[in-house]
Amino acid sequence: MKSKSPLTALLAALAALGVAIFAAGCGGGNDETSGGGGGGEVLTVGSDIPYPPFEQGKPGNYTGFDIELMEAIAEKIGRTAEFQDTSFETIFRDVAQGKFDAVISAATITEEREKAVDFSNPYYLSEQAVLVKEGGSIESLEELDGKTVGVQQGTTGQELAKEKLPNSEIRPFPEGPDAVNALKAGTVEGVVIDAPVAANAVEKSGGVEIAEKVPTEEEYGIAVAQGETELLDEINQGLKEVEDDGTYKTIYEKWFKLAPPQAIFSASHAAE
Amino acid sequence: MSEFFHQYFDFNYMGEHFWEVLEAFLQNVLIFTVVAVLALIWGLVLALLRQLPGKKFLPIRFLTIAYIDLFRAIPILIVILLISGGVPFLEFIPKEIRIPHWLGKPDPFWYGVVALMLVYGAFTAEVYRAGIEGVPGGQMEAARSLGMSHWQAMRNVVVPQAVTLIPAPMLNELISLLKDSTLVSVIAFGESVLISRELLAQSFNSSALTLTAIFFILIILPMARIVDKLIARNQGRIARGSHMEVA
Amino acid sequence: MAETMVRLRGIHKRFGELEVLKGVDLDVGRGEVVCVLGPSGSGKSTLLRCVNLLEPPERGEIFLEGHDICKGPNSGTGEQSWELNFVRQRVGIVFQQFNLFPHRTALQNVTMAPEKVLGRSRAEARAKASELLERVGLGDKVDQYPERLSGGQQQRVAIARALAMDPHVMLFDEVTSALDPELVKEVLDTMRELASEGMTMIVVTHELGFAREVADRVVFMDGGVIVEQGPPAQVLDEPREERTKRFLGLVLDR
Repeated sequence: MKSKSPLTALLAALAALGVAIFAAGCGGGNDETSGGGGGGEVLTVGSDIPYPPFEQGKPGNYTGFDIELMEAIAEKIGRTAEFQDTSFETIFRDVAQGKFDAVISAATITEEREKAVDFSNPYYLSEQAVLVKEGGSIESLEELDGKTVGVQQGTTGQELAKEKLPNSEIRPFPEGPDAVNALKAGTVEGVVIDAPVAANAVEKSGGVEIAEKVPTEEEYGIAVAQGETELLDEINQGLKEVEDDGTYKTIYEKWFKLAPPQAIFSASHAAE
Repeated sequence: MSEFFHQYFDFNYMGEHFWEVLEAFLQNVLIFTVVAVLALIWGLVLALLRQLPGKKFLPIRFLTIAYIDLFRAIPILIVILLISGGVPFLEFIPKEIRIPHWLGKPDPFWYGVVALMLVYGAFTAEVYRAGIEGVPGGQMEAARSLGMSHWQAMRNVVVPQAVTLIPAPMLNELISLLKDSTLVSVIAFGESVLISRELLAQSFNSSALTLTAIFFILIILPMARIVDKLIARNQGRIARGSHMEVA
Repeated sequence: MAETMVRLRGIHKRFGELEVLKGVDLDVGRGEVVCVLGPSGSGKSTLLRCVNLLEPPERGEIFLEGHDICKGPNSGTGEQSWELNFVRQRVGIVFQQFNLFPHRTALQNVTMAPEKVLGRSRAEARAKASELLERVGLGDKVDQYPERLSGGQQQRVAIARALAMDPHVMLFDEVTSALDPELVKEVLDTMRELASEGMTMIVVTHELGFAREVADRVVFMDGGVIVEQGPPAQVLDEPREERTKRFLGLVLDR
């Protein structure tokens, strides 16, 4: 008989805890997709977070070049962007299936991807970089052949590494920063990843340096499901306006500490 | 709806990538085999340490229980991430051990094996303990009263009986272990889940994941049936006024 | 005067908050049969289990054949301070729950300890075991597993098992309480025979008939102390204490 009361007290406490957690959870909810594409106020945007300096931060508090650019574009077209963190390897399939309205995730426009989604005009010119440990002896991509190299799953960096380093073990990490951490730990000897992300890693985390930049002439685009021509036109229009009125330049300089190259403006306008 | 089938049940796709996925699945089986052997031994050691009688051995019992509690509580995924993320930085350990490439397997394999062994050692220790404690206390009393030492009593009386209580729950743990081998995918080891996700990233099709799931089902279902049979057999024994139940 | 086989002085034992033995003194002489009676909770089983140190007392002294087997219990309760080996090879015990080893045959149950503990050869142990099992009337059951034996038969195997170690004292802890009534006699008969052969026995029991016929002395316990003791005729027929009278009244009325 005596043992009953501590037990019921415990069960009551657990129940109360459960209710409290549930209530707290309901308060958050800022990454829920709202229904419908065209016509609604909210524009759901998928992105693989973190991938600094393009996207980073915590739910409800995302920042980064992509994030701010998308928010600016959305405003121009009378929508509010709501971001949803997702994994990169499924991101194109997900937007193709309508899980979100658009994707901005430092995503290179490739033929392969264009089979599944439609891309906006390019909004960023990029290339790959080879990250190595500071003070090491590796000075180029070729020198990594035969060594263990880290990449992020599903990226153009991974493709480049596979192509150029046939004798290497290419290790695909779920997130870009995981590859950088592995480099610092010493479990991989190099990382092939988008150049701006590499530069960010050099600056922010230290201990690593860029051995070589590989100009792959990649262009990032915003992806939407195939056939969503109206939305795509709106986004392209928004992008143009953001570029024209100087907002693009401001955001670019904030995140990259450089003026945006002329080429990007011509790239996005030329596509029209 | 047909899109769903194309996404997950594209048999052509499965056919094309069959050997690739199977080879990756064998990596899971390899992890499972290595860890199973290690964890069964390590767990037995832990279980026996935990049983050491008397005040003298209190610190050992305490440490053993603390270890078991710790690794029952921490999610396996966290253990894997902590080991693979942290160990390489422990500079005082020589590189060959810190970043192991033993037997041709890359370091994430070994980090995964160590993490799984630490955790499953705790789980198997608990199964052994349940087996030992499932033997009625009177058995130990009788053996000790006849003059047998603690170890003689364990070896001749308790453990032989505990052994019949162990296979069923142990097999359940091993089934979990096989499934948990997929956790090593997060540190980029090329087992079946990682490979399936790679294929997904390249071709936007999830059928490789389905194929992986099928491989797991094919191995685990027979194991689960064996567990059921073992349990039924023990129940039967008890019902028939067995061997196992002392009056 | 017969040598004192077992001497207990000032035995105190508690389980957590509960004090089960509150200062017990008892002497048992060589060849004596002492029956211990009392209500449940009186501490009689605990007292018995003190004698072979299954339940070491917190306080008190125990002498076995004149040897102090406690070695200053006040200095600690770790097993190392007790003379365990000495005790357990001289004191045999039979339990209420038999506790036979179910994974071994009757014969193997009896040979295990002599082989492992006394180092006897297999042949020697087997010969002795067969003889003992014959003596308790189970010569034809030597190769049976406990599950195939009746309760009474199992208990007799348990007695043989304890005897195989050549104990000087035998303890019986309510050994017939778990048996169906028709099986009780065979076990009591075995014990009776053992007594007549001169074994020193301490028997915790509810079997008053047995106590009356076989015991040299009856001890009545209640509430952790010995209330009274004496020859069976005296304690059972003309008890001096109130508590004894009450207990006997209850038992006899059954």
